Amino acid sequence: MSTLVTDRHDLAAGARAMAPWLFGIVPFGLVIGLSAARADIPTLAGWLTGPLILAGSAQIAMIEMLDAGATPVVVVVAALVINLRLIFYSATMARYWRGTPWWWRLVAAYLIIDPSFAVGMDGYGRPVDRRRGHAYYLGGAALMWVAWVAAISLGATLGAGLPAWLHLEFVIPLFLLGEAVTKLRDPALRRAIFAAAAVAVLALAAPLHLGIVLAIVAGIAAGLTAQPRPRPSRQLAEVAP
Amino acid sequence: MTVWIVILAAAAGSYLFRLSMIVLADRYTLPPALERATGFVAPAAFAALAAAGIATACVGVGATQAAAPLAALAVAVIAVLRTGSGYAAILAGMPVLWIATALLPS
Repeated sequence: MSTLVTDRHDLAAGARAMAPWLFGIVPFGLVIGLSAARADIPTLAGWLTGPLILAGSAQIAMIEMLDAGATPVVVVVAALVINLRLIFYSATMARYWRGTPWWWRLVAAYLIIDPSFAVGMDGYGRPVDRRRGHAYYLGGAALMWVAWVAAISLGATLGAGLPAWLHLEFVIPLFLLGEAVTKLRDPALRRAIFAAAAVAVLALAAPLHLGIVLAIVAGIAAGLTAQPRPRPSRQLAEVAP
Repeated sequence: MTVWIVILAAAAGSYLFRLSMIVLADRYTLPPALERATGFVAPAAFAALAAAGIATACVGVGATQAAAPLAALAVAVIAVLRTGSGYAAILAGMPVLWIATALLPS
């Protein structure tokens, strides 16, 4: 009985730790829902990327590329390249989940993404027993999941009813532009961003929409040529799923 | 049909990434260079998609039709640089796009 009470307490504590992240999660989810409704794919398919892929950058890239008519293999490759960071989050969580039941690992792994990773690490970093860390992670991740799927649903519902003169197809390029501009201060990221943008424009006519994948690879290569700066801890790539 | 398969394939791949090291951590370690590279993926992808999206809106149309998205782009960049928030690009860029589209002859 006392374990259940502790679990509930830790679940709530994890959810509370996730609350500030909702400021990033909800607007991003709304933008993805809007784009799913406007894109030239079934809205349900765009919405399904939420619960199935649970990774905003990859979702938005997929919806954009599918809308532009990119070749299926290229879309999948782009999404997986964007999600490569999940392998590192997986490696970090592995040490906390060693010896846990399989069902827990299968569920907890599904919920790994930038905000849940950050909240989870916060929970496991506290000097309490690991089981309470699991409840803390689950509480944060569950709130994130509900907010993410709800925001995408709301965006998709609103997007379907809005008139064409609003040019909502321009919301995503502007959103992506804004996100890229906020990262220009870091010299290595700046190189990556300019190289990727330049290659994307130059390769606009590339067959199969391979230009986007080429541009991502060029951006990574350009970023790696910059001097690495020492960083105090692992930096999260995103502030939302 | 293809759209559903693409989404399912990306979902399966992403789930395998999430599960990968939880299953394999005892046997493999990841090279630090790869970890550093992953930090550049999302900004590079965002920049590439934004550039391609805006360029597509401007290529093959008349100068007056390209002017509206370019004006929105310029205002969006300034808004983000001034506020430090990525969402300022939408909040400032979209009204400029609407006004410019309404004012400019199509």
